[in-house]
Amino acid sequence: MDSVRSPDWPAAPLGGLAANSAAARYGTPSGPAPAVGRAQPPHPAEPAYPPAHPPAPPAPVAGPRPEAHPGRRAAPPVPVKILIAGGFGVGKTTTVGAISEIAPLTTEAEMTSAGIGIDDPGARSAKTTTTVAMDFGCVTIDRSLKLYLFGTPGQARFGFMWDDLARGALGALVVVDSSRLDDCYPVVDYFEQAGLPFVVGVNAFDGRLALDLDAIRWALAIGEHVPLVRFDARDRLSVRDTLLVVLDRALQRATRDRGA
Amino acid sequence: MTPDAGGEGDPEQRVRIRLRAPVAGAAASAPDPGPEGPRPFVLTAGRVASADPAIGLETQVTAEPGASDDEVALLPPELQAIIALCAEPISVAEISARTRLHFGVTRVLVGDLRAAGHLEVHLGPGDGASDPELILRVIDGLRAIS
Repeated sequence: MDSVRSPDWPAAPLGGLAANSAAARYGTPSGPAPAVGRAQPPHPAEPAYPPAHPPAPPAPVAGPRPEAHPGRRAAPPVPVKILIAGGFGVGKTTTVGAISEIAPLTTEAEMTSAGIGIDDPGARSAKTTTTVAMDFGCVTIDRSLKLYLFGTPGQARFGFMWDDLARGALGALVVVDSSRLDDCYPVVDYFEQAGLPFVVGVNAFDGRLALDLDAIRWALAIGEHVPLVRFDARDRLSVRDTLLVVLDRALQRATRDRGA
Repeated sequence: MTPDAGGEGDPEQRVRIRLRAPVAGAAASAPDPGPEGPRPFVLTAGRVASADPAIGLETQVTAEPGASDDEVALLPPELQAIIALCAEPISVAEISARTRLHFGVTRVLVGDLRAAGHLEVHLGPGDGASDPELILRVIDGLRAIS
């Protein structure tokens, strides 16, 4: 009976809980992107990030573990979420990884070479795998509030996931690569129709932009009210500032709704 | 007849192969072995709709403190794994990622476990997106990141 194989799907989970991090799945990036953006042990020779300010850096706080109380249990944090959308290979996972306190996790398998040609990451990318579902990470804001970041592909055929993702989201960041804008049109349309506050972030690969921001705004046909910012997905502070722009938009909407 | 005699039969080995980071070129040209294991929704007996559609990706879940260990021990390993993860508050998305179950499957299973009294699902007051206070707290929290 050589046709009977024990199903090895459920065998994976318990042994390797950590094995499902995006880093394990995608391997170390072969391109110029340095170790997935996390400022984990601040590199001694790297002055890029200012030395930890007194208001304790939140990064090393071990995720959702406020001391284990054996008897009484802490109430779970209130979750809020921001979506990170964009086409293949534009740097969604890198964006999430740059600011998340956990290595980005993914809920689905990666797309392998089978998808190449359909989802062409462009000439400048050496990517052989990409995400078909969602990468996500989180930032613990305080004991009772936790921010989740969900990365989602921006092509129309992933639209079935957007309703679930957008429900209750504070806002969205649409990541675009200035040399391949077309991937993000469907998701921009979707957010516009759904009334979700969003910001377009142009990921400046190696600091270069193929087009200037005005040309990109024109090409995307987004209104003047939609912020268009340039950022570096590998840089924690750059990602943080871009998310703050998203939150600013979210706040505008919330106060407007409240006033109405 | 033991076709699995080699490294194939050793679960450790097989798992390692599955998780190996793709090496540029080598892995890309390897033939696709096809789907492994049962199809995802077998675990839910084919159900795709959760008992509670309000359960979202970020919804927080905790294990019900009263649940008896004997009862849990009788559950399938996938469900036991979910309950074990929920010792601390955890999001449904994280459960899905850590158990490597499809998100849709996880949502159905979490709904089942809640109905059976093993898990507590914390469906908050709902629309946090319209609360300026909450957004201001997130802004302050992000600003503190350096």
